[in-house]
Amino acid sequence: MVAPRHRSRTKRRVFVRTPKGGSTLTFRIRKPSPARCPVTGEILKGVPREIPSILKNMPKSHKRPERPFGGVLSGRAMRRLFISEARAPQQQEEE
Amino acid sequence: MMDVGRVCVKIAGRDAGKQCVIVDVVDERHVLIDGLTRRRKCNLMHLEPLAVVVDLKKGADHGAVVIALKSVGIEVPEVKKGTKERKKNPGRPVKQKVKHEKVAKVKKAPQVEKKEAPKKAAPVEKKVEEKKPEEAPVKKE
Repeated sequence: MVAPRHRSRTKRRVFVRTPKGGSTLTFRIRKPSPARCPVTGEILKGVPREIPSILKNMPKSHKRPERPFGGVLSGRAMRRLFISEARAPQQQEEE
Repeated sequence: MMDVGRVCVKIAGRDAGKQCVIVDVVDERHVLIDGLTRRRKCNLMHLEPLAVVVDLKKGADHGAVVIALKSVGIEVPEVKKGTKERKKNPGRPVKQKVKHEKVAKVKKAPQVEKKEAPKKAAPVEKKVEEKKPEEAPVKKE
């Protein structure tokens, strides 16, 4: 019977094999959901979904792609942004 | 449209958002670019052309590209090879570690009391007494 404080499903249950050969129940933190782009809504590539204790020890280059707005916007959203910026002064001249 | 001298903006890769100039046409899909971006071959799909054209010879070097872009108002900063310009964040002040030098313990030799040699008495000056002349013995009569 699991103790009342361990019945919460916020932590996942893992059975671990002990050196003696038996198994015990341990509780571990769940991984976060994948990061999404705020403009397109698609899952961001190059951004690992790990718990904070593992993420903070990873180098910066492992946590996001090496491009402007890497880890924040998707590649598609970034292209649309730069295209609209490049065409904006041309549209003003036409008007 | 995509001819030598056309100023474009890169919309993909590490150099996305930076302005460049078409220096040479490689084939139907690729061109050679230079400017604020690295001098390399680029796909036409990754470029957004602007309404600016610069006088440039086919296959011009980086120096000519810099001069041509300067005439349009785009300044290309000089980057020394082998050095990266990194932004220095003030951050938290770093505590200077004080190194305590380890001094090896040296056993002192036991002090031997030096016995002072007895002081020699100062030489006494011998007084030379003047010898009195001997008195002749008085003969008793």
